[in-house]
Amino acid sequence: MAISKVTTASITDADITTAKLAYDAAPFRNIIINGDMSIAQRGTSTSGLGSDGATTYVLDRFKFQVNGSVSTARYTVSQDTDVPTGQGFVKSSKIDVTTADASLNSAYYSFYRQEIEGQNLQYLKKGTANAESITMSFWVKSNKTGTYICEIDDNDNSRNINKSYTINSADTWEKKTITFAGDTTGTLDNDNGSSFRIFWWLAAGTDFTSGTLATDWESTVNANRAVGQVNLADSTANEWYITGVQLEAGTTASDFEFLPFDVNLGRCKRYCQKYIDPHLVGVNNSGNLPSRVGMNLPVDMRTTPSASISGTFGFWDGGATQNYTTVSAFFLNSTSIQMDWSGSTFSVAGKTNIQYLSSGSNYILIDSEL
Amino acid sequence: MIKTVEKKYCQITNEFSCYKVIYTNELEVFVPHNQANKDYQAIQEWIAAGNTVIDNPPE
Repeated sequence: MAISKVTTASITDADITTAKLAYDAAPFRNIIINGDMSIAQRGTSTSGLGSDGATTYVLDRFKFQVNGSVSTARYTVSQDTDVPTGQGFVKSSKIDVTTADASLNSAYYSFYRQEIEGQNLQYLKKGTANAESITMSFWVKSNKTGTYICEIDDNDNSRNINKSYTINSADTWEKKTITFAGDTTGTLDNDNGSSFRIFWWLAAGTDFTSGTLATDWESTVNANRAVGQVNLADSTANEWYITGVQLEAGTTASDFEFLPFDVNLGRCKRYCQKYIDPHLVGVNNSGNLPSRVGMNLPVDMRTTPSASISGTFGFWDGGATQNYTTVSAFFLNSTSIQMDWSGSTFSVAGKTNIQYLSSGSNYILIDSEL
Repeated sequence: MIKTVEKKYCQITNEFSCYKVIYTNELEVFVPHNQANKDYQAIQEWIAAGNTVIDNPPE
């Protein structure tokens, strides 16, 4: 018999999927930025990672971090075109072990992570009686099967919750969905600082595995963070891929929210901006050096950024040209940058100069990551 | 890891502008005096560990 009307009894919440809606009912529902791994402003591959505890960004917003002071394990992190078939993804992140460590020091850790600003998380109502559950979904692939840990860390209140997932089949893309309960303790700061840190553990020493996995929110105890985690670093044959990362409010995972490339890039530019052959304008100072040479930034950065340069920059003041490789000082804020340069001098003070070289290899990198 | 940190000044006004940080891999990064900047936070930890910022202000 046909149903004459749709009621809550005739259709369950679980049956109402994003795919069945005529419009996207929850745009920008993905808390993760660059979850499809499409943006890699800094470069597409960095090798030799794993020494001295440094953190490294290759793909935008995703940080690779190890405790390199206690291990010789080394990795290459890259953007890759190996993706799950038929899902719409064209890029993934790949972490490849290049020097193995099969016997980890107790203090060793290796993980991939993304940090989220507190002002983007207020609607989760964390720390209240109405705290929302959140659901993580992602595609993952590795030759190293077994148990892995995904962690959400409340950086404002030193609390965390950790869930395991299993890579069942070697070298096969698998979609994982993990729901984390809402936390009624610990409100998140409503600011531009890091409130959530999302960890995908890759290897962990006993300092992080000797307790009981914190499957409910608790005050952070390191021993409870990565219990059961396999050691991805135990062989140079090991590699781990991830893409399609989505974290959203609720207890179910919706289809991955693909954003237009320009929107995705714009979101990433809040945290990193790279300018190859930038157009810069300044003036020759009293010492005949390019001074206060700068540009406005098209996207406001999260906070006052750091900056670095690479390559040779060429300046023309209407009468002469000079090349420079050294900045003597940066003047930085979240909407613009300026630089004083040192090196060869022009012959006339007070003239406007512009950066004109287009070598394709000189760039300015501006970073306000969390 | 941080190798050295040096205060940098404006060529025009001689005012402090930023910190020039050199890492052990020789990467040079210019860092603002801003508590929300992660590189500035790293400088503070480096100082707390007993290291000293190079400061040669213009005369």
